[in-house]
Amino acid sequence: MTDRLRAARLTRAQFLRSTGVAAALLVAPNLLPSAHAADSVTILETGSSLLYPLFNLWVAGYQKTSPGLRVTTQSTGSGTGIAQAVAGIAQIGASDAYVATPMMRKNPNLLNIPLAISAQNVVYNLPGLNGGHLKLSGPVLAGIYGGKITSWDDPAIAKLNPGVALPKHGIVPLHRTDGSGDTFIFTQYLSFSTPDWMNSVAYGTTVSWPALQGGIGAIGNPGMVQTTQQNPYSISYIGVSFAKQITAAGLGTAMLQNKDGNFLLPTTETVTAAAEGQIDKTPKDQRISLIFAPGPQAYPIINYEYAVVSSRQSSEAMAKAIRGLLDWAVDPAGGSAASYLDAVHFIPLPEKIRAMSRAQIAQIAS
Amino acid sequence: MIGTPAGVTSEGVARPGVGSRRIRSGVGPGPFRLALLGLAAIIPLVIVAVLLFLLIYAWPAIRFNGLGFLFTKTWDLGNLYADPVPKHGVLAPIGAQYGSLVFVAGTLLSSGIALLIAVPVSLGISIFLAEGVGAKFRTPFAIVVEMLAVVPSVVYGLWGVTVLVPLVAHVFAPAIAAVLGFIPFFGASGGGGFGLLAASLVLALMVIPIITITVYDALTRVPREAKEAAYALGTTKFEMVSRTMLPMVRPAIIGAVILGLGRALGETMAVLMVSGGALNYLPHSIMSPISTMASFILSQLDSAEQDPSGLAVQSLAEIAIVLFVITVLVNAVARLLVRSGSNARG
Repeated sequence: MTDRLRAARLTRAQFLRSTGVAAALLVAPNLLPSAHAADSVTILETGSSLLYPLFNLWVAGYQKTSPGLRVTTQSTGSGTGIAQAVAGIAQIGASDAYVATPMMRKNPNLLNIPLAISAQNVVYNLPGLNGGHLKLSGPVLAGIYGGKITSWDDPAIAKLNPGVALPKHGIVPLHRTDGSGDTFIFTQYLSFSTPDWMNSVAYGTTVSWPALQGGIGAIGNPGMVQTTQQNPYSISYIGVSFAKQITAAGLGTAMLQNKDGNFLLPTTETVTAAAEGQIDKTPKDQRISLIFAPGPQAYPIINYEYAVVSSRQSSEAMAKAIRGLLDWAVDPAGGSAASYLDAVHFIPLPEKIRAMSRAQIAQIAS
Repeated sequence: MIGTPAGVTSEGVARPGVGSRRIRSGVGPGPFRLALLGLAAIIPLVIVAVLLFLLIYAWPAIRFNGLGFLFTKTWDLGNLYADPVPKHGVLAPIGAQYGSLVFVAGTLLSSGIALLIAVPVSLGISIFLAEGVGAKFRTPFAIVVEMLAVVPSVVYGLWGVTVLVPLVAHVFAPAIAAVLGFIPFFGASGGGGFGLLAASLVLALMVIPIITITVYDALTRVPREAKEAAYALGTTKFEMVSRTMLPMVRPAIIGAVILGLGRALGETMAVLMVSGGALNYLPHSIMSPISTMASFILSQLDSAEQDPSGLAVQSLAEIAIVLFVITVLVNAVARLLVRSGSNARG
């Protein structure tokens, strides 16, 4: 055997040995967790881009206490959240809107579980005026989105804002292109405050927006912030969990007229005040609109942030994992602590609503 | 049709009739041939199956919408929070009506403008590559163009949102309004950059490499004898390219344009990201927001799935049928053009 041949053999032997080692290395990490396979569960959460920032904080916090659990979060819009929870693709469909009654009748196993209370900002980009807070009302917004009010210096807007130098410039109304809980609660505000809107467009996660030349569709709350920033003289509706981004983009936030006629910003006090009046009206399945609630200090666009979950999960391990996560999320000592909710400007569920949510969470089984 | 610019190969070189007949008889009637036939049949069968499935699935919507589907502008899911009621023989949400005109118009306009931009640019690039540069630069240049063709569309979309849309809003729109403002469709600004022009530009960028590569390929196959003959007759380089080379690759150009148009008509993600998502109205200027059929199907599917009657999803399927038919028609017309082109020459 020549030296060269021997060298070739040797390298081949080395090669085989090294691949053996490599194969063992490849297999090993797969073997290790399978020893714990029974308690390792992956939950897929998808939907609301308003709830998404909070869910990411929750997952990071919760996984410290239960290392076996994996939670994947996606910001896809409430429409997708509901659709994928119905289809069984996602275990938790995050939504700012509750599932409609006809859809519930088709899918009686769905639970609509409030996790926290959120609110919505009406945001505008008016050069020179973004520092203050314009006053706007449901009928004025319905006029803007319905095409009856087309210029910022329209008498209807001027009447609400005496002394403000409103620009003589066309309004660019923005709406969501994807199925969105923000569209749902915004159009509910327009519907409940303006009968004309209720009778023509009404509300939903997507609506048939009146034909507005110049109106723009954007995708997701991040898309709304960006599009508002890029378009001077535009107006949009954006969830409060994006307050930081709204401020960073230098946009203005409107004071909205509530049912009692007062103009308010979404703050802990005004959102709490709006929620308190609705506690006793919340039914057992917790599907209720909190929009345009009565009360002098009640902010008009607030909503329960729902986890849409099927009460029939694929396995008991999965059901248990979801129950654990959601129970922790509504716990004031857990996910509903100020350290989590303050970051996204949500407020925790009132005690009575939390108890109702827990009762629904307990129904999740296999 | 597209990959082989049939008109280019000179008669003397290729005798496809003789060669292919010999090969075909060589395969014989045995099981091998049957297996090949089975494989070859998969494609047409799949196409027919998809169309059939769509037709069956969308049938309630086709009945509900009637012919008005093609000519009305309103897309309204109706009240999904009340129970569906019977109308036109199917259960439908109250107030539901579906019209596809906005999306058909958005698709045809954006693809058409994209081609108006892309075709001259692509021809210019491909002629430059084939005739304008030496071999040293030709190959790296061609590789770069080919790489552009394989960039995923969402990358174009992201670039469109972050770079192109502000550019359109602050540079292109004022410039177009200033220069072409007297023409009705070019006057108005607004839309904030999202809309027909941005969508067309993104589509043009996606289509340019496809057309360029195909035409460049064909140009390099023009026989040297033809070029030399033209020069011998005393033509300038410009005349040689425009009178000799371009007519010879005409079928390849048409094929390339159709290939590009096919991509533009069906493009979904990139268009969705920059089109501004128009609903219920037709564009009144080149800056207006639009929606295309493909991008609308994508963006509305999740909302449509919340319709308990199922009519919303079925109506989206009907849009898919319309898109399917338009694409097939475009291809058929292209084939006719290519055939008449070769006939005219022969």
